[in-house]
Amino acid sequence: MTTRPVPVRAVKVFRDEQRAEPATTAAPRARRTLPWRRRLAPYAFVLPFVAVFLAFSVYPLFFTLRLSFTDWHGAGAAHWVGLGNYRYLLTNDAFWASLGNSGVLWLLIVPVQLVLAVIVAVLLGAIKRLRGFYRVTFVVPFVTPLVAVAQIWIVLFDQNYGPVNTVLGALGLPQVGWLVDSMWAKPTLALLFLWKTTGFVVLIVLSGLQQIDGGLYEAASLDGAGRLRQLWSITVPLLRRSLMFCVVLQTLAVFQMFVEPYVVTGGGPYTSTTTAGLFLFKHINSGDLGTGAANSFLLVIVVMALSLLFVRLLRAED
Amino acid sequence: MTTLDVRARRTTGRPRAGAHVFLLVLTVALLAPVAWAVLSSFKPAGEIIRDPLGFDPATLTFANFRGMFQDVPIGSGFLNTGVVLVAKGAITMFCAPLAAFAFAKYSFRGKNLIFGTVLLTLMLPVIVLIIPLLLEMKELGWVNTYQALILPGSVDAFAIFWMRQVIAAVPDELLDAARVDGCGEFAIFLRVIVPAIRPGLAGLGVLTIMNIYNDFVWPVVAASSSRMATLQVVLSTLAQNIKGNRVGADYATVTGELLAAASIALIPLLILFIVLQKHFINGILAGSVKG
Amino acid sequence: MRTTPGRSARGARLLTRRGAAVAAAALLVTVLSACGPDIGSGGDSSASGSVLQAPADNSPKGEITIWDRSGDLFKVFDATIKEFNKKYPGITVKHEAVDIDSKLQNTLITGTDVPDGVFLDDAKVGSYVDHLWNLQDVLAPYSKDIAPQKVAVNTVHGGIYGVPFDLDPGLLFYNAKALSAAGIDPNGIKTYDDLLAAAKKYQQYKPGAKPIHLEQDAFNSQLQLEMYASQFGTSLADANGALRLDSAPYHQILTWLDTVRKDGLGTRAEYLKPTDVGALDSGDEVFYPWAIWFDFAPQQQLTATKGDWRAMPLPAWSPGGARSGAMGGASFVIPKDAKNPQLAWLFYRFLTFEQAGYSAVYGPNAVYPGGLNTSIPSYRPAADPAKPLFRPIDAMGGQDVWKTAVEASQEIPGGAPIPSWWAAAVDYLGTDLQKMLDGSLTPQQVIDQAGKDIQTNLVERK
Repeated sequence: MTTRPVPVRAVKVFRDEQRAEPATTAAPRARRTLPWRRRLAPYAFVLPFVAVFLAFSVYPLFFTLRLSFTDWHGAGAAHWVGLGNYRYLLTNDAFWASLGNSGVLWLLIVPVQLVLAVIVAVLLGAIKRLRGFYRVTFVVPFVTPLVAVAQIWIVLFDQNYGPVNTVLGALGLPQVGWLVDSMWAKPTLALLFLWKTTGFVVLIVLSGLQQIDGGLYEAASLDGAGRLRQLWSITVPLLRRSLMFCVVLQTLAVFQMFVEPYVVTGGGPYTSTTTAGLFLFKHINSGDLGTGAANSFLLVIVVMALSLLFVRLLRAED
Repeated sequence: MTTLDVRARRTTGRPRAGAHVFLLVLTVALLAPVAWAVLSSFKPAGEIIRDPLGFDPATLTFANFRGMFQDVPIGSGFLNTGVVLVAKGAITMFCAPLAAFAFAKYSFRGKNLIFGTVLLTLMLPVIVLIIPLLLEMKELGWVNTYQALILPGSVDAFAIFWMRQVIAAVPDELLDAARVDGCGEFAIFLRVIVPAIRPGLAGLGVLTIMNIYNDFVWPVVAASSSRMATLQVVLSTLAQNIKGNRVGADYATVTGELLAAASIALIPLLILFIVLQKHFINGILAGSVKG
Repeated sequence: MRTTPGRSARGARLLTRRGAAVAAAALLVTVLSACGPDIGSGGDSSASGSVLQAPADNSPKGEITIWDRSGDLFKVFDATIKEFNKKYPGITVKHEAVDIDSKLQNTLITGTDVPDGVFLDDAKVGSYVDHLWNLQDVLAPYSKDIAPQKVAVNTVHGGIYGVPFDLDPGLLFYNAKALSAAGIDPNGIKTYDDLLAAAKKYQQYKPGAKPIHLEQDAFNSQLQLEMYASQFGTSLADANGALRLDSAPYHQILTWLDTVRKDGLGTRAEYLKPTDVGALDSGDEVFYPWAIWFDFAPQQQLTATKGDWRAMPLPAWSPGGARSGAMGGASFVIPKDAKNPQLAWLFYRFLTFEQAGYSAVYGPNAVYPGGLNTSIPSYRPAADPAKPLFRPIDAMGGQDVWKTAVEASQEIPGGAPIPSWWAAAVDYLGTDLQKMLDGSLTPQQVIDQAGKDIQTNLVERK
């Protein structure tokens, strides 16, 4: 997209401005000359956090890491098995299948959610009336207890008695085995996740929109760029950081998801909704703690790699 | 010409109607499941499943609510959630912004290490930490205590991450000016940072409340006695009954009770949210990234 | 581009920037974990052979905490405590309704706040034996009178780890009214081939009907498979834990189920979920080979066909074969870390082996005015066909289900232990079974594939 007219140039100018911002801060340059109080202050500030963090996050983290090299099942002595648990998982089809299931769910959720959120945020920016009303409704799913939502989903999407199929039938559309057909279970689960979290993503995108300089649109429309062109050439590029933030957050959430499939489908039909998070949960729940620990660290690596990949993609276009 | 004027000018006539139609459709889709759940909780349990869309005012009943109050300790659930909410919320609201202030505005030894670890824990699935944490609670003699419900996760990685973004946006000039005026570092936090990030704090507050209120993975195991069960633990006990629907536990009855419990659980947050709507939205806006 | 640390507010990019720090932190964690907390050094690992002894005290005192899953059974047990206290006034029973599946494992592993007794599915006893008292000595006086199937499921490495509570004989439930309208005599159904023939006949009478239930939930379908296998006196693994899936009984069962599917005779539905209830009530689904606890359906969930249902012994796999198999069931276990294990034993002995106890459990009570009729006692002296504990069931046309069930239960062969990995096997066998019932695997493929998966992922890793 190098041959775009004015809007792109406008974007560039805007970005350069951002970069040229003066970088004044408590920079390292001054460290030696800083008064002792100012040097010690940050340590004091992080202390309460670090104390709690060490005790209830880092300590269990160590424990879990150690666990991942053992065969501990929760009783008796643990035996060191080296990388055995990792080797077992990496050569296990079910492990890869669980990652695959989460991958498919990611594809069903994240792109849809981003597009939807951008559209909604732009529309919300364009209207004045009922704005508050819409904003509240978008967050209602967010505050509904998850276990209740999962149960509601089971009833709503029942193959024969669920209102969703009733409505489809009334419209003359084919009815679907939402939760009993291995092809449809993932989309049904994705729908639950979308329903529950899209409102939050909308809010983040909204905030990104508010930071965009209105002058850009003005310049663009003076140049005769249509509204869609403006959306594509100004809004989307300038929203990229907000969108990336959402992508990283939602990637974490999708790959760790386990309560939704656990309650709604139990991981089935077949193992089509056994997500990475649920697969891990099953190890832990059946007492295979060492494998569960190893599984979770493999999951961390996957999520970290994906996050870095997304951030790299963002950079490549910069 | 201000931003708003430009926006207003860009959007006139027909497209605005289109926008409303689209948003209204979405609103219906978002509200329908919740509305269905609340309405259904007043129906006879059997009807909820047999005829999910029917609603006959003549058969309106409080049976689900009565059964639910009888079967599960929802009253003490509210109480426990309240205690945890206040204590845990207070710790989060104090520790997270303070630590985030240090991360955002100072450079100090170990900063990257600590922050890196914070990110690492953000990526680690919570469930895997449960057994280690529980063993720790045992060592401390904390099982079935409020401490166990309150302290773990009281300063979660996300809160730090989030607050760091908010505080980074406060201009350094403000801090420097305060220092010139002879302000101490903690005084800067109280008098400069806190007022400047008030919307962000409000956002963190509401997010924290929602997280604590809706959390159940850890409470389910940390509070093994029903005396300590929080609201969400009560809900998940009901859900578990539905799942384990083998002998006896009547699928329809428990579903009715769960919907009743969920409807009640929804009320406080919904009220809170409507009242604090403006703060909450602005808070989230303040906390997220810059475009 | 350089941004100073304090200035950047860009969440996503931060992740890369901190990538190195994360790696450093991970490295540190690895190094430190070598001197991390001790795992599994808790003192009781040596006590794996602990055998519980009965208390010598005649009027014991103390408090016990008992966990039960919530629901009707909780209320039934709750009502028995009063009876128990008539005999043991010094023992206070703290009775808690608990989500056992999500709590027991954590509680046992960490040894915190451990209850003195827990109501546990038989299928799960095996996976907890490291944490449980061996009850072989206290049970010795009763063992010969306990249904052999229940002894087998609670026996692991020679020890017995659960006080056998209920026995859940499989029965063939059928819609008597619908069958007689179709001119089918249920008494003629003596083997599974007879059942196929009857189902075909019913389908001719009512085109579109799918007379036989084909379970659609992976867990329950595996449970039902074990019921069929139990009729042969076999189960997934023998007492030494060796897999027995690739055997004649399983071939025969799977082939039969596959035939039901192929011939279009099966209703695919999850046990008593709305779809199932609908098919039952419309008379499309008229045969339900299931454990006795299905009798809950006509009593509570069916409306249109309430009163039309009856139960009879299961068909046999070959003429003259056993007419019942066990499906599900639960036992009472006593954790090693319990504070008053002996008192918990007294409580369970009362409920299971003493007349005042088992009569209070199964007899008429506030929850079940006619008595608890979703299972029968596993203690033979309590299960006397002539001395019913629960009354005939109105919703089943006044049938004396007690007599039917008790007589059927006496045919259940023993020799069917439950391996500790049984529940985990659902992901393989239960899933493959579902694939077969959907027509995408053959019986042989199920046996080969599930057998291989269970062997590598469960048998060899425990």
